[in-house]
Amino acid sequence: MQTNLLSIATNAKSISMTDKINHPQLCQWLNSVAHTRDKQAFTHLFQFFAPKILRIARAKFPNEAQANEVVQDTMSNVWRKAHLFNQDKGAATTWVYTVMRNVTFDMLRKIQGNKEDNLSDDIWPVAENMSSEGETFDDHLENENLLSVIEALPQAQQDVVKGFYFREMSQEQLATHLRLPLGTVKSRLRLALGKLKVQLGEKHD
Amino acid sequence: MINHHPKFELIQAFVNGDLPASLSAGIAIHADMCAVCQQKIAQFTEQVAENSFEEEFLDRFIVDDNDALESIAAINFDHMIDDIVQSSDIDIAIPKTEKSIEFNGVKYMLPSVLNNMVLSKKANIGKLTRTRIQLNEDEIHTSLLHIKPGGGVPEHTHKGFELTVLLAGSFHDESGEYVKGDFIMLDGSDQHHPVSTNGCLCYTVANDALHFTQGINKLLNPIGSFIY
Ligand SMILES: [Zn+2]
Repeated sequence: MQTNLLSIATNAKSISMTDKINHPQLCQWLNSVAHTRDKQAFTHLFQFFAPKILRIARAKFPNEAQANEVVQDTMSNVWRKAHLFNQDKGAATTWVYTVMRNVTFDMLRKIQGNKEDNLSDDIWPVAENMSSEGETFDDHLENENLLSVIEALPQAQQDVVKGFYFREMSQEQLATHLRLPLGTVKSRLRLALGKLKVQLGEKHD
Repeated sequence: MINHHPKFELIQAFVNGDLPASLSAGIAIHADMCAVCQQKIAQFTEQVAENSFEEEFLDRFIVDDNDALESIAAINFDHMIDDIVQSSDIDIAIPKTEKSIEFNGVKYMLPSVLNNMVLSKKANIGKLTRTRIQLNEDEIHTSLLHIKPGGGVPEHTHKGFELTVLLAGSFHDESGEYVKGDFIMLDGSDQHHPVSTNGCLCYTVANDALHFTQGINKLLNPIGSFIY
């Protein structure tokens, strides 16, 4: 494996123009681990993530054994929690980052505060990854789909809709805030809401 | 409408895991009620994750640091993989339990972030009721503070910082009115005298900063200038 690692690194160097992450591949491996406990897929994930996790952990833990523990714990959580990954909610890298950051946080707290309360998963839920359960959000928006529908609107309409729904600004306040005539704000909002109705109607059918 | 949000530096430190549990929980509580910050956090997390796991980092690392490379090779990754996949355990996601707390005969839902934190006995002073949250962070004190209608906190300043997240109700001070969800971060230069006409429940984090130990100092370093 050590040699594999080196050859991966060398390859990366030679193709460094295309060093973007292959997200669909990572997702596929994670899903294989989740659905079929695929050890080969896990090995691929390990080879991709472990050296990077180790590098990051080294910066936070001068103690080598502790840095290795971060790698071990993070990857072992990936193995045991892969089914909690939801590719509709974010990239595999984001999910593994969350797992790694949580392991690191709990370990630092254990070392510095001598507390073994493992609070990280309450602060940053691994299963839902900051999903929206907030009342403010739910009051106005049925679900997260709406957010993605809003994001698809032209920027000018997005600004108005987000100001109106998320920040609860009045149309008058929005006009001042966006430095637009009130009539423009009203017509943009009407246009945007028309589109949202159509989009959401379609989704609900 | 929520008017007060954490500064972006604070959100960054939160996502990086550099803040103490008390402040991290404060931001999580706010984000649960604030779609704007929730989205900022999600976006920044995605970005940090992408940067962390980009191949070029490994590349740079290996070119720059031969010693580190040797010690990487010294870990037996094969052994670690074998060890991990031997386990057939799966972590079941536990549904969030809802906990509540009672102040002055009124039941309040506890933010789920606080579910596993230990709360001390309530202490009473006039119209104020306080319960400490035992996070064991030295000079940083975290509490739930309930103010009965008409109550207030006497004028005060802090040597360090003072965070208030409003969980229910409202209060006002010299700078204005605050409502449920507001994230109010004050530093030593701020002086205020909050009063709650109709009562409120707050999550508060404060330090006295007189005797910062090195450990805590280190913990706060990433946002040092912001917090002092
Ligand atoms: Zn906010």
